[in-house]
Amino acid sequence: MGALRGMAWSVDRRPLRSISWEVPSLVAETTDVTIRNDLADIAVLRDAVDRVGANARIPSAALYDLQVVLDEIVSNVIKYAWPAGGAHEVRVRLTVDRGAVEVEVVDDGQPYDPREAPAPVRAAPGRRPRPGGLGIHIARQLVDVFDYERKEPHNRVRLTKRFI
Amino acid sequence: MSEGLKIAHARSGPVCVVTLTGRIDNSNAKQVSTEVDGLIGAGEKNILLDLAGVIYLTSAAFRALLVATDQAERNAARLALCSITGHVRDLFEMGGLMDSFTILGSRDEALARLA
Repeated sequence: MGALRGMAWSVDRRPLRSISWEVPSLVAETTDVTIRNDLADIAVLRDAVDRVGANARIPSAALYDLQVVLDEIVSNVIKYAWPAGGAHEVRVRLTVDRGAVEVEVVDDGQPYDPREAPAPVRAAPGRRPRPGGLGIHIARQLVDVFDYERKEPHNRVRLTKRFI
Repeated sequence: MSEGLKIAHARSGPVCVVTLTGRIDNSNAKQVSTEVDGLIGAGEKNILLDLAGVIYLTSAAFRALLVATDQAERNAARLALCSITGHVRDLFEMGGLMDSFTILGSRDEALARLA
């Protein structure tokens, strides 16, 4: 796929329409999903991400990576953003633009930068690991950009996953 | 709602094979530990989890599998995994978890080992 793309773009005398199939969409498409701070709602988000993937023809490997990352980020928010509990919302915005999905996850919980999650502790020989920080550790390996900012009163995680 | 996770189990000689199909994430990972708990409670001593049909899994699944493995150990039962391939294998490797479980190749290889 990478080599093919390189070829398509490097042949500069081709008529434009011959490479247009490489560009799935020239207009960014945005999808907003709001879920409750309830782990069961992860299934709602999963469905929405599937639909975005189908509409934008995101290859399944990239789509599954994105599903894993969103599960890790959003479940972290649901579990830790509101220590006092109560009903809250997590807003997720997915924008597909020129071969990449940009994701924003916004919550109004306590300030928390997931990039500062502790690295998983290596298990002693013969012992199984206790997977604290494992989810974020995996998520970071699956996206191209992983940013965070606190803009009172919100946490905003920004991710980019390229798929072509 | 899209297909999440399906769990089925069947006996193969002394081994109880649990087939996991779909995606394992934070919305459903507890079903895996509940299933294994139930089997251990029913006296199963050899449990094989077949992940051939899993398209992806997240850290919630790894937590559930670690809990299930501990639970098996406490009850003098064996819990092994098989058919860890492709994207699922990549995720195990990213998590540094290949050595945390008994992973036994294909289902046939696993059944031969556990019989």
